[in-house]
Amino acid sequence: MRAILLGLTEDADLPLVKVRLARLTAQSGNFKPMPQLKKSFHIKGRDFIRAGEASINVQNLLKSMDFDPRLIRRVAICGYESEMNVVMHGGDGTLSIEVDNDKLILEITDDGPGIEDIELAMQAGYSTANDDHREMGFGAGMGLPNMKKNSDQIQVESPPNDGTVVRMIFFIPDKGKSD
Amino acid sequence: MSKKLTSTCFVRFDRDLCAGHGSCLRVCPTKAIRIKKKKAARIVEQCIGCGECIRICRERAVSAATEGPDILDKDQVAIALVSPVLYAQFPGVMPKDVLLGLHQMGFEHTIDMSYFLEMFQCATEEFIRRNQTSNQAPWPLISPICPIVVRLIAFKFPSLLPNVLPVLRPVALMAREVKRRLIPEYMEKGQEVVLYYINPCPTKKDPSCLPARQQSAPTEVALGINDIYPQLIKHVEQIKAADAIPFYQTRFEYETCATGNASMWGMSGGEIADMDIDRSLAVSGMEETIHYLEKIEMGLFQDIEYIEFRTCREGCLGGVLNAIDKYLAKSAVQRMIKRFGLGRRLHRENILRMYEKGDFQSEKDPSKLTSLFGARKEALSIDAMQEIEKVMQLIKGTDCTACGAPDCRTFAEDVVRGQATLKDCLFIGGQRKTNR
Repeated sequence: MRAILLGLTEDADLPLVKVRLARLTAQSGNFKPMPQLKKSFHIKGRDFIRAGEASINVQNLLKSMDFDPRLIRRVAICGYESEMNVVMHGGDGTLSIEVDNDKLILEITDDGPGIEDIELAMQAGYSTANDDHREMGFGAGMGLPNMKKNSDQIQVESPPNDGTVVRMIFFIPDKGKSD
Repeated sequence: MSKKLTSTCFVRFDRDLCAGHGSCLRVCPTKAIRIKKKKAARIVEQCIGCGECIRICRERAVSAATEGPDILDKDQVAIALVSPVLYAQFPGVMPKDVLLGLHQMGFEHTIDMSYFLEMFQCATEEFIRRNQTSNQAPWPLISPICPIVVRLIAFKFPSLLPNVLPVLRPVALMAREVKRRLIPEYMEKGQEVVLYYINPCPTKKDPSCLPARQQSAPTEVALGINDIYPQLIKHVEQIKAADAIPFYQTRFEYETCATGNASMWGMSGGEIADMDIDRSLAVSGMEETIHYLEKIEMGLFQDIEYIEFRTCREGCLGGVLNAIDKYLAKSAVQRMIKRFGLGRRLHRENILRMYEKGDFQSEKDPSKLTSLFGARKEALSIDAMQEIEKVMQLIKGTDCTACGAPDCRTFAEDVVRGQATLKDCLFIGGQRKTNR
């Protein structure tokens, strides 16, 4: 790939490429491989019709790589649950996925009201959803418990009135061992 | 390209007819089409046979890889395996008359698939009833009837392979029965047997079929409904006009079709209409199917027991190889159901006995399913993903398709895989010649 880009720079008649290439080189520090891959997707609050799109994007990204389908499924479930939490309670937010050599990190941040009692929210069945949410079939109080069940590690940070950050880690099983 | 690869593909592209419009690029659910040198070219390994490219092509440059009826050879014993969608192509005509028409066309035996669909339905009910306590397979179970859906799952949603109902597909049941009961007789006499699958879509024969027990397996050929329609309608019209319908001796129950409602199987929802399941759902259309599969993957619909997916709108009646429009066909089917009602012709006890013997068990191992239902793509490494991100930043990201790829992301992937060069991009290569 580097060769492809370098090959292009030699094309003197492509000024556009030169400009973009220069910008890119500046950004990524002369093509040094990044430690991991990170992509973020925007989530719009209260948009129930488009809810789930960010996690679908994460799924599609992971699917083009060589991951165990079961792992992808777990990430997908966590992504969707957390995305729904943001859409229901949190206002706008972002869902980001980091791919490392041995783990995947799914992080979700929002600028919503935050979670008052995290321990309580982690309990199955506890919900602060309103009637409207329930009418749409959400708000069973299984969001965070489901995320905990499907991820290897979960961290929830929610300082009062300063949004919420949920960080979930999924370890990539060693290929040689699992097969 | 080796001969084997060409024969496994479901569609053909006519290079002379192709105008390079690229309308097929965007509709391909697995992004298996590129425009190279102003002509559409396909990535054979990624084709799942949905036929969306056939549907969209204005130049009719894409056709199904099926055969014409002129290949019927007098020296061979032709057996027609008939999809019930065929009956819906002749509004107001009884299924048995359509089968008789086929017989007159030169098919020695006509096998009615709706018989095996009923068998499948019974086995499915039993599996679901048992799964409620055993939890052998995860909810929601996904209907395996549409092979395109199974291929789509194997290709795009491998984590859902355990959800695919592990009951043998009706086509497999039908092929097994024919291979066990009918074919050996002819084989003993030294006659050559050819199985003709009469299909509404370019799916060809069933890949999950059990391998033939005999060494000399029959030839299997796929025929599109529209391939035989012009000939068949003449015979059917004659039969309809005739005062006395010629008697056609059948040996097996499934050689004819006495019920009027058999064609309901082709409708979206036809599979679950008469099924004894509390919570089921029918989804049709490619976009809708993908949308629902994405949701299932995210953990939704676990309260539903069975989902019938068809990638064609309105179910198999909307298949690309049909002769009449799907809505007209649907109306014909609904009229038939109104007249004859829903009814079964098989005895439940017999089916349950077969079920106990394990006659309906199909492949459950996801990796085997993947290999049977083909369609694959090489996985990307983290490094390659980073390269793709870089290419994405270089190109403008308008999905203009001028490079010949369906969208920018696919193009970036092609570049990293070495199947395209950055210069193909209009925004980088400028006024240089593009692929389109």
